[in-house]
Amino acid sequence: MARHRGRGIATIEYPTGMNQNGDPSQAWIKVKPDGRIDVFAGTVDVGQGSKTVHTQIVADTIGVPYDWVTMDVSNTDSSPICTGSFASRGTFIGGNAVRFAAERVREKILEIASKEMEIDPADLEIADGEVAAKGAPDRKLGLADVAAAATWTYGELITGTGAAFKKYSTVDDDTGEVDSEPHAAISYAACVAEVEVDDETGEVFVEKLVQVYDVGRAINPTLVEGQIEGGAMMGLGLGLLESSYPYYPSLEHRGEKFGAYLAPGLDDLPELDNVIVENPSSDGPFGAKAIGEMANNAQPPAIMSAIHDAVGVWVTEAPATPHRVLKALQERSEPRRDGKRIVYDEELSIRGLSATAGKGPDGTGFILPDE
Amino acid sequence: MKAVGTRLPRYDGVGHVTGRTVYVDDVRVPGTLWAKALRSSHPHAGIVRLDTTKAEQYPGVHAVITHEDVPRNVYGHLEALGVPADEPLLAEQAVHYRGQPIAVVAAEDEATALEALELIEIEYEERPALLDIRKAFDPDAKPFHQWGPVFPHFGTHTSRRIRKGDVEGAFDRADLIVQGVYRPQAIDQVPIEPQVALAVPEPDGRLTIYSCTQAMYFSMGVVAAHLQWPLNKLKFVGGTVGGGFGGKVDTATETISALLALKAHRPVKWRWTREEEFLASSTRAPWHMEIADAVTQDGWLLGRKMTTLHDAGAYTRFSSYGVTKHSFHHPGAYTIPNLRFDGYVVYTNRTPTTAMRGFGVTSVSFAAEIQMNRIAESLGMDPFELRLKNANRVGDLTANRVRLSDPSTVPVVLAAADRIGHELKAEYRQMTNAPRSGELLPEHLLASVGGGS
Repeated sequence: MARHRGRGIATIEYPTGMNQNGDPSQAWIKVKPDGRIDVFAGTVDVGQGSKTVHTQIVADTIGVPYDWVTMDVSNTDSSPICTGSFASRGTFIGGNAVRFAAERVREKILEIASKEMEIDPADLEIADGEVAAKGAPDRKLGLADVAAAATWTYGELITGTGAAFKKYSTVDDDTGEVDSEPHAAISYAACVAEVEVDDETGEVFVEKLVQVYDVGRAINPTLVEGQIEGGAMMGLGLGLLESSYPYYPSLEHRGEKFGAYLAPGLDDLPELDNVIVENPSSDGPFGAKAIGEMANNAQPPAIMSAIHDAVGVWVTEAPATPHRVLKALQERSEPRRDGKRIVYDEELSIRGLSATAGKGPDGTGFILPDE
Repeated sequence: MKAVGTRLPRYDGVGHVTGRTVYVDDVRVPGTLWAKALRSSHPHAGIVRLDTTKAEQYPGVHAVITHEDVPRNVYGHLEALGVPADEPLLAEQAVHYRGQPIAVVAAEDEATALEALELIEIEYEERPALLDIRKAFDPDAKPFHQWGPVFPHFGTHTSRRIRKGDVEGAFDRADLIVQGVYRPQAIDQVPIEPQVALAVPEPDGRLTIYSCTQAMYFSMGVVAAHLQWPLNKLKFVGGTVGGGFGGKVDTATETISALLALKAHRPVKWRWTREEEFLASSTRAPWHMEIADAVTQDGWLLGRKMTTLHDAGAYTRFSSYGVTKHSFHHPGAYTIPNLRFDGYVVYTNRTPTTAMRGFGVTSVSFAAEIQMNRIAESLGMDPFELRLKNANRVGDLTANRVRLSDPSTVPVVLAAADRIGHELKAEYRQMTNAPRSGELLPEHLLASVGGGS
């Protein structure tokens, strides 16, 4: 009757963008007559902060203050296509779309400024909303004046479009070999979970999560931490609490309201130690990779391994409910040893459950890993 | 001042925390009707009789739709990738999961719509439900899906396959084979904002659809396909979502709201109740994974054989995509030179499963990482060092033969060890992600590094 402490590690990787690509994101930008920037894109902000991140990317790509940029992702009449806010594609692919559009806008601004200043565009730079001659910063022209000149002197609209797209990668159905890189980038993470396990009740208390994420470049560190911490909560739900079908595969007791479905709340929040590693990608905006989805992948296996470290039993069905932990503690089942083979979890296996070892009457069913 | 790298406040944060952000349910259009769906009360049944006449005649009801009202009822989420369609928008001769929509009513208000549902006459012929994916091929399991027990369209195969290197040789040479079974279960996305859409017929013949979709153009494509309309007759308004996590890619409410609005010539809002959100909105999939790893006494992963069953629920949706992604990442953050992987999409009589944060990979991270710790225990090896030894390095080839350019297994493991004060031997402490050489390039890895497969 005691609480036992344990620690477990997991290391994961996760691709950026739709698997096998073929997922365009596009954007267009126009500049108002006073030099303020309007961005139209289709990337839905699902709460992760993509509008904020995209605004930062545009501001720095053009060289204007952040609050000069307005993002409109509100409708399909004004926005070009974005495949969607999923597959961890917002910062990288959506971000590249607005970056490419901003680069075109920057070129157009320099072209107009060049005429006004009588300096070659290659000798101009933009920072803080001002176009200045390289090496002669006193020779400068505000972006408001450039935009005004475009509008009233040259009769032009400063605009630009951007399209981020990587061609569809084809997979060989016999071998799994692809004909081109099937992702935009790959992010990595490690998580160390520290838990306490009550051997009387089977309850698992996650005391601390140390989480290290390589995001290439943190465009907005606060929002990266938001993903890491929000992901940690979701990982806790996956590892310890949530189940749509508590008696899976049975449909019985399907949770149908909050009171019958146990999602983590703030009371469950452990101590969090977040570490951001920046190993830049070659193609992402400012070296960014994705963080969105992977943020709930590392905690569940780290927790399961911490449970094992604490009380010596493996729980490999998630979530590790008190029931499952107690059952494992009572059974204390050892893996079967057969020569050099160590076989865990036979009672859960296809071979253990299916009347035909998963093969079906004609032997054409599942290929099993022990054959 | 540079914006990138700066802790700028969220663009829309003040609106969110002060309740001033306008979500779909906050949009008010005069004359809006409420939609309510008749859903299957059985996981598997034939529909013997369906009669909506009395509901249509009920005062306050403006439209009732069934599959007969849908220009193109059967649609597939992955048709653009060559996967045939298998899911009806509204059930036809049979229902394949509890909560499957059969008929939908649009009425003056919520109460009237609910009363009208009671007037729809339906007669079911109950059939046995198939629920355990492990038994999908058993003689007493009666496949209900038109394609049989599993998705048959991975080329000519019934599984997504990875075949790399000499896996049998690896298992022969191994000092130890570690085998385990891993079963992460379904969870709900649990967005605070349930599925909701508002479809407004415009005077110019277009439809404006206020949508909580995570993917406006994708969802617009789904509606256009069902309606057989060009995109310029549709306008999606959205971009602000009250929680998605993958569950709002499926386009759950938009098409039906649109069909009702067109039939009733009135704006129609369909907002699911929390009960519907749980019952009928697709979940993360339950997965069943079996791994056997061939390892050496000094901690090299020589080979992996893996079988994955993905519980798709009643229809395919994005399942084959998820299993392919899963297959590409099944060695995790490590380089394993010899691989044999088979991933199956298995149909069951539960709500179709779909994308959720980490789609296809959350499952394999769970399995592969517990497996790594079991291997470390079996070998008496430090789990950090086992990971560092087998870590992805620059130039390594992945399961699908992509050369890695910037892998970070080593930096993240070292940072984690450092953070908790975990002691590592000097040879591990000094590791980087640089290309393998010396002792980190043993003979069994030669083919996986610097060319060949």
